Amino acid sequence: MMGEQQILGLLKRVVGRSPAERTELVYMGGRTDLTRYTKSAIHQNVSEENIRVYVRVAEGKRLGVVTVNKLGEEELLQAAAKALELARHQPENPYFEDFPQPASYQRTQTYFEATAEFTPAARAEAMKRIFAQAERLGFEVAGAFTSGEAEVAILNSNGVAAYQPLTQAGITIVPVSREGMSRSSSFSHDVREIDFERVAAKALERCALNKNQQEIALGQYDVILEPGCLAEVMQWLCFIAFGSNSFIQGTSFMAGKLGERSMGENITIYDSVHEPEAQGLPFDFQGFPKQRVTLIERGINRGVVFDSMSANQAKAQPTGHGLPPGMPYGAIPFNICLQPGDSSVEEMIASCPRGLLVSSFHYVNGFLDPKKALMTGMTRYGTFLVEGGKIKHAVKNLRWNESMLRALSNVQAISRKREVIGDEGASFAVMPAVYIKDFTFTGVQKEESGPAPR
Amino acid sequence: METKEWLKAALNDLSRARVDYADGRYLDRETESITVRNEQVAGLSRRGDCGFGIRVLYKGSWGFAASARLTEADVMETARRALEVAKASYLTQREPVKLDEWQPHRGSYRTRFEVDPFAVPLDRKLELLFTAVKILRQDKRIAVAEGEMNFCRTEKLFLSTEGAEITQSILESGAGTEATAIEDGDLQRRSYPDSLGGDVATRGYEFVESLELVENAERIREEALALLAAEPCPVGKRDLIIGSSQLGLQIHESCGHPTELDRALGTEISYAGGSFLTPDKLGNFRYGSKIVNIYGDATIPDSIGSFGYDDEGVPAQRFPIIEEGVFVGYLTSRETAPIVGKKSSGAMRAESWNHIPLIRMVNINLEPGEQDLSLEDLIADTKDGILVATNKSWSIDDLRLNFQFGCEIAWEIKHGKRVRMLKNPVYTGITPQFWNSCDAICGRSEWRIWGLPNCGKGEPPQTMHVAHGAAPARFRNIEVGVKK
Repeated sequence: MMGEQQILGLLKRVVGRSPAERTELVYMGGRTDLTRYTKSAIHQNVSEENIRVYVRVAEGKRLGVVTVNKLGEEELLQAAAKALELARHQPENPYFEDFPQPASYQRTQTYFEATAEFTPAARAEAMKRIFAQAERLGFEVAGAFTSGEAEVAILNSNGVAAYQPLTQAGITIVPVSREGMSRSSSFSHDVREIDFERVAAKALERCALNKNQQEIALGQYDVILEPGCLAEVMQWLCFIAFGSNSFIQGTSFMAGKLGERSMGENITIYDSVHEPEAQGLPFDFQGFPKQRVTLIERGINRGVVFDSMSANQAKAQPTGHGLPPGMPYGAIPFNICLQPGDSSVEEMIASCPRGLLVSSFHYVNGFLDPKKALMTGMTRYGTFLVEGGKIKHAVKNLRWNESMLRALSNVQAISRKREVIGDEGASFAVMPAVYIKDFTFTGVQKEESGPAPR
Repeated sequence: METKEWLKAALNDLSRARVDYADGRYLDRETESITVRNEQVAGLSRRGDCGFGIRVLYKGSWGFAASARLTEADVMETARRALEVAKASYLTQREPVKLDEWQPHRGSYRTRFEVDPFAVPLDRKLELLFTAVKILRQDKRIAVAEGEMNFCRTEKLFLSTEGAEITQSILESGAGTEATAIEDGDLQRRSYPDSLGGDVATRGYEFVESLELVENAERIREEALALLAAEPCPVGKRDLIIGSSQLGLQIHESCGHPTELDRALGTEISYAGGSFLTPDKLGNFRYGSKIVNIYGDATIPDSIGSFGYDDEGVPAQRFPIIEEGVFVGYLTSRETAPIVGKKSSGAMRAESWNHIPLIRMVNINLEPGEQDLSLEDLIADTKDGILVATNKSWSIDDLRLNFQFGCEIAWEIKHGKRVRMLKNPVYTGITPQFWNSCDAICGRSEWRIWGLPNCGKGEPPQTMHVAHGAAPARFRNIEVGVKK
């Protein structure tokens, strides 16, 4: 970690000496440690220190971007000169006006020394305890445990100077028995917030249930989706519907339909870095303050996120969701949240006459028909038949095909409790569990081999 | 090069610390990405990425550390950190890792090219993309017309405590176009020459020019528009002819991933998943029909699944995976190959300097049919079927059994003739059932290799460049469409 003064000082010197009319620098750097394990032993263990500096320059309405992973002042100036050369060979971008002006940012707490100082040996010791906890029940454990620290800084020739340090810790525990698997995870900026024993206990309890999976008839079932399922779906919605490009280009179901209903009255989806469960970067990768943006309000399409250029194109205001320079994706939400309800998974199970409890989704794809948010995917890590308000038995993993507009119009209950599902760096989803009526299952995971060879 | 000397010194230090094995990789990469969307440059950037990683095997446990700071002190400190990480891994060890024996190689490898894409003026690249995109946009129903080019030059150095010293220089060029038509709430897309960025090869700018993006733009636009008016693909069991690029992705998902031995041994089980092709099936499992022969080959010129040596210093090889329908081989590493009684197939690859190598696909190819059947011959031989082309969506379960693919376009075949275009084709199946239903594969003249630069695996996620060779093939009685 270089620290705020040293990073911003360096970036300021480079911007001051840049050959370009206007210059913007985005710095990302830090250390990521990751321990992976399978069969209750560590099999991969890595530590990476990296930096990346995006150098974006503007000459009039022409932009050029060069990215380097070097930090020398002269090397960054060379990158600025290269970016300027690229800018001069490009046509004008009518939607570019200027880099952002200085702004104030609402503080978020994203750095904890306890996480930064967590050593490989401390991770291994934590794992040994979890392995022993699993062994007592006759299970082996797979998964990953990551911890690390990073700094993000943005400085431009208009005077924007933003800096935020972050730490992140996350553990995924996948107990494996002879008959099945389960999964539980926890993510936090503060490693002390992760209750390893509780996360492991939850996964082990679920794994014990995931045995003797039976094949069930395909068709529509009521489903209780645990938070990780919705996180996967929401990531796709962010990409195909809630981002600026899909909205402007008309490929999003929201395009031309703001103010119209697309989901049920109990669904409110928003992007925010100030949640009780999780906090994130208070600015985007252009230095705009990150705003809370309501995407769906009580089922009604309310808006999408914008960076400065997409906002100009759509005649809207930037919302602070710009991606690092040079990417062709426009603005995309990366702290997606679903408003909690007043139920719980236990209450949902108790209220379910016949349905399925789904622990996780796997390999979701949202490109089938983006205008209908039609998606497919598999269930994973435990799918259970619920009958008469009780879990009856595990079932084989299932393929589903469903329009998320239809599914999110059929939500009967939402849990009070939400989980943080972390991604790399500052990206996360905060999701509750949901009870959805009539979710469509179309296939099953089964091994049907051909005749014996030769 | 100073870094090489520092890495050698660091490996010497590790040898003195009595590690079982260590290797050091230095990588310097330059990339250029250009995206033109409608009338704008939507993205244009050049990126440099340079650093080194040191992998240590200590008492049979792995550790890895990497850094972008290229000073002698940082190289030494990174080696020390890699050893510290390996010692932490050792705390939970159950079985020590043993590597298979390889004579350390000293050599170099360089891909061939005619025109250095980084030396081609930006104006020329933009003009090509703008011309293609302008043709794609010549109808108001085309909401999005897009063209992109990607270039990548990688210089790599590999050193090991066993004495290996290998340099490699790999240049890649790729391009593609895409038209999205929207009308009355319907969205249809056509891509050329393939979806998700086009095609990529280890060649120079001459490869981009050979793709004829401009010459194909009108056809792509008209197909996207025609899809708006086309009937939806019917639901039910039909004979299915799969075009070459989609079949490449089918091979990728249903044969390439499940034959990665690390997956089969459970080391990816908590993330990407496992494999139904467990080691007990090796040599005795009928994966497909007798005409199905699939092999790995990292030696094919010009393909992005090729290289001189993998990231453990093992030479590129050709090896069988499916022989006459029987599962006979895995993609392996020096650590995993001995577990199934084999030598490494040379498939350990890392995305960059900051990642450990994992077992990754190389070129995983389906052999063409013995008779030189053309696609038109295959259509003529099909009484009632569907021809699908160009991937639109993909999904497969964690053991690689149940898959579902969507394609951009389909044609109904009746009595040996294409009778009508169909939209939104989707097909689904169970991997071994599906490959056992393969009853015809087109011949060598229809076979081509497709670069796939976005294969994801591992934690932290690594994106790998792989490729698949295939000719169109027919599969009998396949579930098409989504039953409600």
